[in-house]
Amino acid sequence: MLSVSHVRKAFGSVQAVCDVSFSLGRGSAFGLLGPNGAGKTTVMRMILRILESDGGGITWDGVPVSRRTARTFGYLPEERGLYGKMKARDQIIFFARLHGIAGREAQRRTDRWIERLDLREAAQRACAELSKGNQQKVQVACAAVHEPGLLILDEPFSGLDPVNAEMLSAILQELQAKGTAMLLSSHQMWQLEHLCRSFCIISNGSNRAAGTLAELRAAWPTRIIKIEPGSEAVRLVMHTVPQGRFLPPEEGAAYYEIPAQTPLPELLKRLVNADAITRFESVEPSLHEIYLDAIGKGNTD
Amino acid sequence: MLIGALGVALFMRLPAFMASYDGGAKTILLSGDPSLIAQAQPLLAKDFTIAGRLNLRGGATASDLRAHRKAAAIVALAKDAAGLQVTVYSKDPSTLELPTMRHDLLPLNVSVTTNLDARKVASLLTVRMTVKPVSSKFGTAAQADQARIMGYILLVLLYVLIVLNSQLILTSVAEEKTSRIAELLVASVNPSSLLAGKVIASATLALLQMVLWVGVGFLFGGERSSGGELQRLNDVAQLSWQTISVGAIASFAMFFLLGYFEMATLFAAIGSLVNHTEDLGSLGAPLFIPVVAAFFIAVSALEVPDAVIVIAASFIPLLSPFVMFARVIVSDVPVWQVALCIFLNLATIWAIAIVGGKIYRVGMLLYGRTPRLWQIWQVLRV
Repeated sequence: MLSVSHVRKAFGSVQAVCDVSFSLGRGSAFGLLGPNGAGKTTVMRMILRILESDGGGITWDGVPVSRRTARTFGYLPEERGLYGKMKARDQIIFFARLHGIAGREAQRRTDRWIERLDLREAAQRACAELSKGNQQKVQVACAAVHEPGLLILDEPFSGLDPVNAEMLSAILQELQAKGTAMLLSSHQMWQLEHLCRSFCIISNGSNRAAGTLAELRAAWPTRIIKIEPGSEAVRLVMHTVPQGRFLPPEEGAAYYEIPAQTPLPELLKRLVNADAITRFESVEPSLHEIYLDAIGKGNTD
Repeated sequence: MLIGALGVALFMRLPAFMASYDGGAKTILLSGDPSLIAQAQPLLAKDFTIAGRLNLRGGATASDLRAHRKAAAIVALAKDAAGLQVTVYSKDPSTLELPTMRHDLLPLNVSVTTNLDARKVASLLTVRMTVKPVSSKFGTAAQADQARIMGYILLVLLYVLIVLNSQLILTSVAEEKTSRIAELLVASVNPSSLLAGKVIASATLALLQMVLWVGVGFLFGGERSSGGELQRLNDVAQLSWQTISVGAIASFAMFFLLGYFEMATLFAAIGSLVNHTEDLGSLGAPLFIPVVAAFFIAVSALEVPDAVIVIAASFIPLLSPFVMFARVIVSDVPVWQVALCIFLNLATIWAIAIVGGKIYRVGMLLYGRTPRLWQIWQVLRV
């Protein structure tokens, strides 16, 4: 289990990371969300010991992460890091051997990854010739080929078309099932929503929100209710809800925003009494909305 | 490596190739007084090829020369009261060895004016001289000469091997940075191991290169032919290849390893600071100085191994492998000096490995503006 507590890092006068904490257990995936320049990559680099944190602690299975331990982690950097002239297959084998997997085994694993990632045609070509998507796939293989306990992926879905993104998502879920702990950062919220159990939203170097999706949703202060039909009777009832807000109706349905604490069963009973309700839906805020809200709040702090 | 091998092969073949052109300048035709010709012929035959005799009326013209294609000149001999009168008709006087011709014909001139026998005059004019070098590791001047030429060749070989391969490491490290694979490498492997691995692998490649080039040199340095400066160099080189002692090979290998590890580690450290390929020029410029200085001083060392600057330079790190190697080839260097040189170089390698290793570790991740010297110093102090 990885535990990051109160890490901070400054570059000269710029405080890149102020106070970030989270933890992540084996076999689970954790999503690090935040706008560009929020400090996500810096946090990842501190975990990998590429950068030294100015304070706070990072432990793996209770033991502070040493450089040697950090080198066993798998890392997918944000920018492509491949030897342009090396063939894709050789590149993956190289990284396997760099992490201590001997020759024959390295080849076997590489070939398995190539099959899994659908890289058969690309495998014998130089990395510089491959498309961005294929390069990203090669990069993923390089990061995971040595079966690390912790896999750190910085923007793994960037450059991948929807089909490949789906393939990668499936692979990551498989790895999770096998027990690999995963730390991902991404802008593609919807991908992470399916993959990660817990999240941490970082902006300007500090935690803005953290927790599982359920927790984040529960912390959301309001709820959006969709009611059909959007009749006058419904409107009258909704008027009485304290701190309720009318939202523009769409296609015959009425939308309202009400405080999260409002007891829904009672509201439903009153609506049913007032009219023939055909739809009563509580729309959960998406991760995207939660994210935007958290960032927005952060910027006004 | 292959291009180098090709280069060596060509170099060995070049003198033979040039000789076929060169030979022309040594071929002459004699004309004029038959008795003079008869006396002059043995004198000139030492240095020139006499292609034949010609009977001329008046001055020779270009068509006469063209008629005897191989001849570079027509030498017309005549005598008068003052002595020998030689007229040389030539297409290109600058290619003829006129001083040699003058020297050869000198006895004839004396004999004609004094009526002494030409051969007696020739022996009078020859000063018997034996050169006995004192306190030199070589018995004869010829051996010293041979050693010097062999030293020159080996020095060039040493220089090329060390500098070329160090350059390769520089560009390789810089390429890793610009392609951003540096970050991934540092996250996967101990940077010091990475650096050491690069240097050692490259050293092995360089030694392989050396063996290949020497092998090709042996293979192609086959025949001997006449004439030419280059050929003389080649002949001596041939002899040298065959007489290279184990000691010379051992010292070559040792100085190569010392010099290479020093330079390669330094170059790798500098290379890790590169951000864009343009930086390579400005960061690499200061490295030029020791590299060029080493070569020039080492070449001088072959001629004057005991000059003060040479002795001093043979202890300065980066320069010393080359300079000391040159000194060792052509003179007897006291053992304590060689030992001191080795010790200083090992200490330098150790220091560069530590400092360079730190620079490399930090440099590999330093992106953004190229760091100034004081920033690097700050990083090292941590």
